[in-house]
Amino acid sequence: MLEIRNIHKTFGGNQVLKGVNIKVEKGDVVVILGPSGSGKTTLLRCINFLERADEGSLDFDEIHTELKNASRRTVNKIRKKTAFVFQNYNLFQNKTALQNVMEGLTVARKVPREEAEVIAKEALDKVGLADRYGYYPSQLSGGQQQRVGIARAVAVRPEVILFDEPTSALDPELIGEVLCVMKELAREGVTMVVVTHEMSFAHDVANRVVFMEGGVVVEEGTPRQIFQSPREERTSQFLHRVNRDYDYSI
Amino acid sequence: MELNIKFMGETLVKILTGIPTTLEITFFTLLTAGPLAFLFAVARAENRKVAGRLIAGYVSFIRGTPVILQILFLYSLLPSLLNHLIRNVLQLDYNIFNWNPVIYAYVVFIINNLAVLTEVFRSALQTVNQGQLEAGLAVGMTKRQTYLRIIIPQAMVAAMPNLCNSTIGLLKSTSLAYMMGVKEITSIARTAAAYGYDYIEAYLDVFFVYLVLCTVVQLIFKGIEKRISVYKQRLAG
Ligand SMILES: Nc1ncnc2c1ncn2[C@@H]1O[C@H](COP(=O)(O)OP(=O)(O)OP(=O)(O)O)[C@@H](O)[C@H]1O
Ligand SMILES: [Mg+2]
Repeated sequence: MLEIRNIHKTFGGNQVLKGVNIKVEKGDVVVILGPSGSGKTTLLRCINFLERADEGSLDFDEIHTELKNASRRTVNKIRKKTAFVFQNYNLFQNKTALQNVMEGLTVARKVPREEAEVIAKEALDKVGLADRYGYYPSQLSGGQQQRVGIARAVAVRPEVILFDEPTSALDPELIGEVLCVMKELAREGVTMVVVTHEMSFAHDVANRVVFMEGGVVVEEGTPRQIFQSPREERTSQFLHRVNRDYDYSI
Repeated sequence: MELNIKFMGETLVKILTGIPTTLEITFFTLLTAGPLAFLFAVARAENRKVAGRLIAGYVSFIRGTPVILQILFLYSLLPSLLNHLIRNVLQLDYNIFNWNPVIYAYVVFIINNLAVLTEVFRSALQTVNQGQLEAGLAVGMTKRQTYLRIIIPQAMVAAMPNLCNSTIGLLKSTSLAYMMGVKEITSIARTAAAYGYDYIEAYLDVFFVYLVLCTVVQLIFKGIEKRISVYKQRLAG
């Protein structure tokens, strides 16, 4: 469904992505792991053109394009097939929860207002915010804001949702509610690419785990392969480090 | 020293007739310079290289020179320049020295406030985080749509306090229009005072009128700000 080949990206003199390939099939939950600075965020941002890659190609259903010189029309098409959930939510501060979710429907997709409202309410109900339609972001907790962010992504019925560390700006006690919503989406068969440091989510929900470091994919496989018998030394070192931090934090 | 209270009262009434001119200059300047300044600010925020530099240069030039100097310069230069243009270049028999001097006042104040307001809007745009623009793009809206629906409404709220300050600054600086022969509050007061040397009384009147005007402007801006910033208020019920 979605395939990216040989993606390169350099910031100034800093080569952040050095030829990454990613393939996502319908219904996949792909979790991307990797240390800070390995290029995970940049990779996701290149997929929906929030960042322009220097090299590489993208196939998305019938669309084929070079990332570097994709036309504005192609970019728009791809953005309408994807949705993005941001680390710090990035909700529209001047819009209520309901308006946040409706915006992508009424403005970007020209869905009639009444119809959009029904869809948006459904999406908010699904993330457990049926009683918060009229609240502004400043009146919601971090966990609630991120759930609005997820509802905003779900409502436009994208073919794939890209999550960039959706829980890492949250207080520990709020992480659960967001992961719960994401698990539910996975169960329903929503295609997702998730950058996260939540090992339990990767372990329980992903059907494929990709380990990145230094701008390349070091290793990928099923959660079982990656967590129980990683082939690469760097992968097992990373997992050890993460698990040790995890143990200490208890 | 004793104040000539009777004169103060009479002069106050005369001064009141200058208020429309003062307000006209203020509002027309804001209405003209405001939208253009907003475009300038967006051009700068969007990192338009050439346009951004030109605008930055313009802003620092205007803000780096005293208004009074700009007035003196323009008022001595512009009329004779235009006169030269009309008579010698266009070969028309037309006397531009008949023009209402308020036109020159507008030119100076617009040029000046374009620079001031560009800075006001630029810093206001910066308070709206880039992430919301990206979120707009990510849900499939265009940059233009996101600016119009998300960024600008919030930037306007953030701009309100500074906009209020610059409006008050502009209102007060319109008193300099007397230098260009415009009959506004200050010039009316000076004319009245010149007759019997009652300058103190006349200036006290002027103080009073500006104080009231500025207070009203502040109240208006407070009201607008409150209305358009509903989304910032915590729940009260
Ligand atoms: N807009 C940018 N300009 C310059 N450098 C950037 C930019 N965005 C990212 N980088 C650099 O690219 C590198 C990779 O960043 P990226 O955010 O993709 O890493 P990450 O894997 O998401 O890390 P983290 O786990 O900390 O979020 C970092 O060294 C970062 O400094
Ligand atoms: Mg990141």
